[in-house]
Amino acid sequence: MSTAGGQTATLAVDLSIPVQADLVVLARLTAATVAGRAGFGVEDIEDLRLAVEELCLSLVGGAKDGRLHLTYECEGDAITVACRYEDAGTPAGPPGQGADDLSLRILDALVDEHGRQIRDGHPSAWLCKRRSDQPA
Amino acid sequence: MDQSFQIADEEVNGVPVVSATGEIDVATAPPLRDRLQALATSGKSTVVVNLLGVTFLDSTALGVLVGALKRCRESGGDLPLVITEPRILKVFEITGLTGVFPIYASVDDAVRSVA
Repeated sequence: MSTAGGQTATLAVDLSIPVQADLVVLARLTAATVAGRAGFGVEDIEDLRLAVEELCLSLVGGAKDGRLHLTYECEGDAITVACRYEDAGTPAGPPGQGADDLSLRILDALVDEHGRQIRDGHPSAWLCKRRSDQPA
Repeated sequence: MDQSFQIADEEVNGVPVVSATGEIDVATAPPLRDRLQALATSGKSTVVVNLLGVTFLDSTALGVLVGALKRCRESGGDLPLVITEPRILKVFEITGLTGVFPIYASVDDAVRSVA
């Protein structure tokens, strides 16, 4: 995000939601809000909205319980979204569990980088999208 | 569930047309899947899916459409889609599905292709 003095500020937002189909919309709404505040254009915002949805889906698969913890960080011309899935007691699966081919193809196409890992024993995924030159 | 999501049914020249509006995501895809499954169960092997009013579509929705397409083709039919919104077309393009589904710019064109 640019400040009046031309400096680059960091914007960080945390979101924690239950794994519930009708609440995943909150993850993409937050992504759109953060991207809008950071001056991303409409196309970039739409790309990020879908990418964050796929990031969440790739982690939870068909799970119907547990929580998703998301962190949105905007620094310079990039937004990084990290997502961690905490299940409701069953052991964590390997990174990328539940990720299907369509989700991965969408992420490959829409963001600059993305990846998966086990973090603190929980399946986690992240993405990074840089602002393109289109007008905001 | 997204309050703006709706599904409507009609028949155009004897061809069933399912029109979806709003956002099709992990929460709203199941009703669409159920509707398409019900049509298949009732013997409709070809169904036009009108996505002109759809504003968001994720991989869950794509999975529902791919499953329905498979059922239609196994019954000798097809599942033409109606899409004009570039954002929605982009999702099909980046997943390689524009080469899998017949895609039309209007319901009339889609119906004509199968009637």
